[in-house]
Amino acid sequence: MNSTKKRIAFKTLGCRLNQYETDALVSDFDKGGYEIVDFKEQADVVVVNTCTVTNQSDQKSRNMISQAARNNQGSVVVVTGCMANNYKETLEGENKITYVVENNRKGSILNLVDAHFGGELLHPEKLEADVFQFNTVDKSLHTRSAIKIQDGCDNFCTFCIIPTVRGRAVSRPLPQIIENVEDTLANGFKELVITGVNIGRYEWEDKRFEDVLEAILNVPGDFRVRISSLEPDGFGNRLVDLFDHPKLTPHLHLCLQSGSDKVLLRMRRMYDYNRFKNLVERFRDKYTEFNFTTDLIVGFPDESEEDFQESLNAVSTFGFGHVHTFKYSVRKGTRAERMENHLPEKIKNARSARIRQASEENRSRYLSSFIGKEQTVLIETIDARGYATGYGEHYVPVRFKGKGLQKNTFQIVRITRIEGKGEQMRLVGEL
Amino acid sequence: MSIELQQEIKIDESFYKVKEIRQLTDETFSLRLPKSRFNYRAGQHISLGIRGDYQSREYSIYSGENDDHLEVLVKEVKKGYFTPKLSKLKPGDLVEVSGPFGKFRIDEKKIADHKFVFIASGTGIAPFRSMVRTYPQLDYQLIHGVRYGNEAYDRHEYEQERHILCTSGDKTGKVHGRLTTYLKKASFDNNTQFYLCGNSNMIFDALEILKDKGFERDQIHCEVYF
Repeated sequence: MNSTKKRIAFKTLGCRLNQYETDALVSDFDKGGYEIVDFKEQADVVVVNTCTVTNQSDQKSRNMISQAARNNQGSVVVVTGCMANNYKETLEGENKITYVVENNRKGSILNLVDAHFGGELLHPEKLEADVFQFNTVDKSLHTRSAIKIQDGCDNFCTFCIIPTVRGRAVSRPLPQIIENVEDTLANGFKELVITGVNIGRYEWEDKRFEDVLEAILNVPGDFRVRISSLEPDGFGNRLVDLFDHPKLTPHLHLCLQSGSDKVLLRMRRMYDYNRFKNLVERFRDKYTEFNFTTDLIVGFPDESEEDFQESLNAVSTFGFGHVHTFKYSVRKGTRAERMENHLPEKIKNARSARIRQASEENRSRYLSSFIGKEQTVLIETIDARGYATGYGEHYVPVRFKGKGLQKNTFQIVRITRIEGKGEQMRLVGEL
Repeated sequence: MSIELQQEIKIDESFYKVKEIRQLTDETFSLRLPKSRFNYRAGQHISLGIRGDYQSREYSIYSGENDDHLEVLVKEVKKGYFTPKLSKLKPGDLVEVSGPFGKFRIDEKKIADHKFVFIASGTGIAPFRSMVRTYPQLDYQLIHGVRYGNEAYDRHEYEQERHILCTSGDKTGKVHGRLTTYLKKASFDNNTQFYLCGNSNMIFDALEILKDKGFERDQIHCEVYF
């Protein structure tokens, strides 16, 4: 180890987009001559990439900032991400934080830190602002790399703070996306995850989301493609048919948020239950094992027991492989903050537990359906006993044993059983 | 790979001086601001703030795209926080405008061969006035539900045969009763695009009626007021 190298640690909270942006920063700093160390280790610089989507995210982000400052006294502490946008002035007033960098300048943090060690104290607002300026990821703790195609959102759902902290929807020009895909593949990644805040609303010249997807799938190479998270509106059969492509994995995280049309209307979502149902049915008619996962918010203001029951029913009706359950939490400045009949925490906790239970039952059923079948697994880790873990094409976690296995390679695995409970439940297989 | 693209993701915010206040009823008024360089599409909304106040509220734009002012329609909620403050504004006072926002817009490709039915409750008529002023060639019908006839804001601007006023509190409208009662009896062409704007209960009920009549959800566009 070169002891003159400055040591830098990262902590990421929240969504895949944040993770991708951290990965890109890791690559930047690695190329820039810094030594990347674990967040628990001593570092000269700590970057905390925060999230503000719920109260819990705020709390976690604050804890991580405090931990970073406490464990690395005298070091440079950089706070970025959505919380940096949402609470910029408050964070700037905290002595333990050296720099607060908003999302649109996140890609320039290397310049800021380089300048700092060069004796120049730049104000982050002097940094270049461009949400797509991140360099291609070449060093990451993950075997899959995200491809950012879009940022921001114009939907203004009544519960959501994201349009305020990520800004208006902007789409990355398609030629730049393809260049980024080619560079990422050249760096050895075998799985690409198409990422953004609201990728289904991609709009650049006459190109839409399906055009981007098709163009990425047509790039030559041995790789597969996932879609990170999609809003269930505005899609026709073309999207369904694109899943015929062997590189596109049969999984969608399709955000339902509520099974009640009344709640969806008050959330200002752009679809109703039936539209969601039609989309799911079109997929399942063609691809019977297709994995749908989703987000559900429980305890939205004025959500009645009947409304909640519709969400609960939706979990089993759609057989989601996983449900990410959020208890509604007030975000300051959103329309839902001013709605009447906010529900007590006790009701939200109880409803959340019921959804989780239903989700686990579903998950068990869904995973069991793979016993006796094959999955193509991209190996992410191999332990000392030779057990490899990774995800199959349906985004199901798989563990298996084999000789001479290597990380970041595809293996066809025959599934024999499931193990574990709850979130830890996974498939076990053999070569 | 370096990318030369420079894209700010800032939400546009500007301060505007109030140009004119038009009192339409005892409780409802329109606020006219200079349009300046503010570009919007008919049907979109803005977020409006008062200088020195940390809160803001969303309002659909009431003016047409080509009008020389930006206008919103406000009904004062006497015990509310924000509208009583708006009602005290005078010409020359500063307000903060963010936006425009929203996808509640006319698909221009459909204008030539589709009918448009606008369904509004109360001040939910705002985006439809903007649409009607922007697209004079629209084949539209406006169904406006209010309590009393004097809430038919700027009614003279709509062709009489296209304007169905439903009054539930007096008999001055073409229809006496709620607009949903009218909707249940009415018939519409298959190639109709429906636009609904107003409170969530009205929208929910109207949606159900239209779906029962066999119209697809893709034909129905909603903007909910809270």
